Amino acid sequence: MSLLHERMMEEVRVELRRLASRRRFLTGSATLAAGSALALAVNGVPLLPGLQVARAQTTFADDIEVLNYALTLEHLEATFYRQGLEQFTDADFGESPFGRPISERLTAIRDHEVAHVEALTATINDLGGDPVAEADYDFGYTDVATFLQTAQALENTGVSAYDGAGQFISDPALLTTAGSIVAVEARHAAYLNLLNGALPFPAPFETPLTPDEVLAIAGPFIVSATAESTPAA
Amino acid sequence: MQRQTHEEILGRVFQARDQQASRRGLLRGAVSAGGAATLALAPMVSAVNAQDGASDEDILSVLNYALTLENLENAFYRDGLASFTVEAFTALGFQTSVVDYLAQIGSDELAHVTTLTQVISDLGGTPVAEGQYDFGDAFTDAPTFLATAMALENTGVAAYTGAAQYLIDNDDLLTAALTIHGVEARHAAYLNILNEEDPFPEAFDAPMTPDEVVEIATPFIVSADVVTPAGAAVATPVA
Repeated sequence: MSLLHERMMEEVRVELRRLASRRRFLTGSATLAAGSALALAVNGVPLLPGLQVARAQTTFADDIEVLNYALTLEHLEATFYRQGLEQFTDADFGESPFGRPISERLTAIRDHEVAHVEALTATINDLGGDPVAEADYDFGYTDVATFLQTAQALENTGVSAYDGAGQFISDPALLTTAGSIVAVEARHAAYLNLLNGALPFPAPFETPLTPDEVLAIAGPFIVSATAESTPAA
Repeated sequence: MQRQTHEEILGRVFQARDQQASRRGLLRGAVSAGGAATLALAPMVSAVNAQDGASDEDILSVLNYALTLENLENAFYRDGLASFTVEAFTALGFQTSVVDYLAQIGSDELAHVTTLTQVISDLGGTPVAEGQYDFGDAFTDAPTFLATAMALENTGVAAYTGAAQYLIDNDDLLTAALTIHGVEARHAAYLNILNEEDPFPEAFDAPMTPDEVVEIATPFIVSADVVTPAGAAVATPVA
């Protein structure tokens, strides 16, 4: 394994551990919220009928950390589609009942995820941050059917992740950018739901997920983040 | 090391969602075969406190801006679908499920109207009322109905994308708006497909300013109060 590869994996590992440890540190602690603009101590209650609020179990120090959280997920998605489209042929995917061949739609989705990775990476660099790198993943699919089911899960989780993290963004322009990305993820999710025989819009409101909840879902895909037991610095 | 089969992964996704919904007491076991969860409307729970940086009036104007658009969409599907037979759509080559999905979209818009109205009232504001609209041939010609629906949904997505920034100082309302925003994007993708358009034509959904949105909506409005975000003059959406 190359040194570069090792370093990339370590970056993701550290990012995930940092998020996880911050969550443990802050859970149930009211005092730590004192110096923060975020209402960490507020108990999670349903705000309004049908509306859900992802309460802060994990928080972010600044916009760079939120963007790196998003980038972690976008890397995962981009790699997922890149690998799947390399592994399966157009014929494997077959024709689509929704206008265009499935492989063509998936290629467009892959290109979107790559564009998200590039935009987030550039933005984090511009802000003086250190963009998290692509890692090693194992998505566990065995055929086109399971690939498409995993795609559906990833896209819907992606929407929930952005919806849960939007509140942590402090720069209005970055919030708008995040909004322009999550809308595309929701479009992807609707299409993949259709492909898998599910309702494209299963509820009148999306379900925001906290970073902890998202990492519990996405973390197992990241081989490099779960392969070692030695705590990071 | 932790190789997950797709079943385990999907199981975790749905388990996480169910747990979250269950915690909040919103999910009433209404899970369909397709894995779709229906959220039951719980009784009104709590008030919202506007945070620093935006006045209550500003917040209310943003919510009424959203309600202005949701009222339009709700009326469109309610009155439009009532004016068509199922055969009007199956004659175009669509399966009957398309009509069910369109009704589901209408139901979503009604839920948005109901919720936004309640939020605004709860904050002490006056919810903007439904107006009188004219959708032209959309209620007599099914293809025009679908094309108009597509335009409304994609405009709605752009409106929320552009307006989210005005809620940046209120975490709860911002998150709530985002959960509506995503659903509008799902509607838009589906209607794009019905209209033989790309469901996700761009890598980034373009935001629209309130002025741009109002310009698109105005031709449909015979008479209605149109509210736009009070803070719109000082913050411009970025592409």
